[in-house]
Amino acid sequence: MQNIISGYGLGLRTEHYADFLADSERLRQRVDWLEVISENYMVPGGKPLYMLDQIRRDFPMVMHGVSLSIGGTAPIDVEYLRHLKVLIERIEPAWISDHLCWTGTDGLNLHDLLPMPYTERALRHLVERISQVQEFLGRKILLENVSSYVTYRADEMSEWEFIAALLQRSGCDLLLDVNNIYVSSVNHGFNPQHFIDAIPATHVRQIHLAGHENHGSYIIDTHDHPVCDAVWDLYAYTVRRLGAVPTMIERDDNIPPLNELLDELDTVRRTAMQNLPLQVGHA
Amino acid sequence: MKPVATLQDVFQGAVLAGDRAPGLFVREGLNEIGGFDLYINAYRARLAAALKDNYPVLHLALGDDLFDQLASAYIEQRPSRYRSIRWFGDGLREFIDQNPELLPHPALADLASMDWALRAAFDAANADVCRTEDLAAILPQDWPLMRFTLHPSVNLLELNWRIGPIWHALNQDADAVTEQPDALDHTLLVWRQELECKWRSLEIAEALALRAVVRGESFAEICEVLAALDSDLTESDPSMLAASLLSQWLSDGLLVKLTAFI
Ligand SMILES: [Fe+2]
Repeated sequence: MQNIISGYGLGLRTEHYADFLADSERLRQRVDWLEVISENYMVPGGKPLYMLDQIRRDFPMVMHGVSLSIGGTAPIDVEYLRHLKVLIERIEPAWISDHLCWTGTDGLNLHDLLPMPYTERALRHLVERISQVQEFLGRKILLENVSSYVTYRADEMSEWEFIAALLQRSGCDLLLDVNNIYVSSVNHGFNPQHFIDAIPATHVRQIHLAGHENHGSYIIDTHDHPVCDAVWDLYAYTVRRLGAVPTMIERDDNIPPLNELLDELDTVRRTAMQNLPLQVGHA
Repeated sequence: MKPVATLQDVFQGAVLAGDRAPGLFVREGLNEIGGFDLYINAYRARLAAALKDNYPVLHLALGDDLFDQLASAYIEQRPSRYRSIRWFGDGLREFIDQNPELLPHPALADLASMDWALRAAFDAANADVCRTEDLAAILPQDWPLMRFTLHPSVNLLELNWRIGPIWHALNQDADAVTEQPDALDHTLLVWRQELECKWRSLEIAEALALRAVVRGESFAEICEVLAALDSDLTESDPSMLAASLLSQWLSDGLLVKLTAFI
């Protein structure tokens, strides 16, 4: 299967393996591409790799990692990159992404996507590490904005200024998570449209949409609900501002039958079509 | 301007301690729901969920409360050093042996070993398996020196309790009331055939023969191991017994395809 990513995708989840194996022809009409979590397939063998190989035959794919810890301060884990490279050779993804975050320090892994301080020092640190990783892998990477629940005293700029500067200086691309922007905008009290406005459009290669848990005064990025109205509105704004960017729904918990996600993906498609600037054409 | 490393050390130290991180954030305090406490809670919840994934039957046997107690103790003492959360919990059996009071019955430690071995078999390396026709091609004079390799998913566990019945009962009905298991020293074979993870308890003869295969011994040496067994444990002659074990292993997919004759 060729690897041209355009249109609308889903995150591949084990709950839907059987659907993708049994019904790939019909599903190809409704899902343009799939994103796989890299670490789920960085295993020696067995069912995960078997399923991956089968489904890859029928769908274009991108890879999405959670353990790179690009913002960490321990040396880049070359062993991890080597394993990642083996998987890249197996999948031949259109691109690979991870998160703009750190996951632990001092040899430990908290298995969380922890926010970076938005400082000049952190920028320099990231630019250096991104170039190391891109050089090792021989390809550009995408980094995703994470949601956050704290604000560092050390911050010298806003998250969007930080990300815009990082994209320009490092040359890496952005996986724009619209839900994460919304979550952070509620938690920190900023206008999410300002965030979108600040992002250089040429660097945005992929968009994530997801649901979250609303606790009133704050929101937790849980990926266990359908996309909410406020995030649909922000997505519409994003499409008007950035044009056609491959977009997918992320559902990590409380995973519904595939048909429900396909219906939700139709809503993504419809929302994008209705908001695309005319001169840009279709996704 | 604080170096990034200092900030991360303080952040991580506070998550691990479950305490506030002084001086780090604009708004501080554990009581301010929706801030740093979310990281503290999410860290523990995520690792506990990973342990439940990796130890599904132990979780069923213990129930939520006891399993959560065990998980919290483990998470506090053995934070993850793995890139992928898939491997978190690799030291749980050892941890249980050091802290037996965390389990209501010592047999549950064997259940932990079994869960982990099944999880390991699930995504262990692939290998082409040996088939009957491969063995048929071996010349009679080559048999004594034949050596076999077990599939990468094969694991031989030395257990002290008969836990098979609990495992079956809990897999059929998560709320099953289970009997106290009997003490029984034995070997449990865990492996993957095609994509399916399997297990069975071994008789002494088969356990010894498989151990001999693991040590890289030849067919003749495997026969010697079987011959040394008490005659009341085995009735048939050693080479007949070895041949019947081999044919069982072939149908179970335990042996890797032979690459070259020595
Ligand atoms: Fe995301």
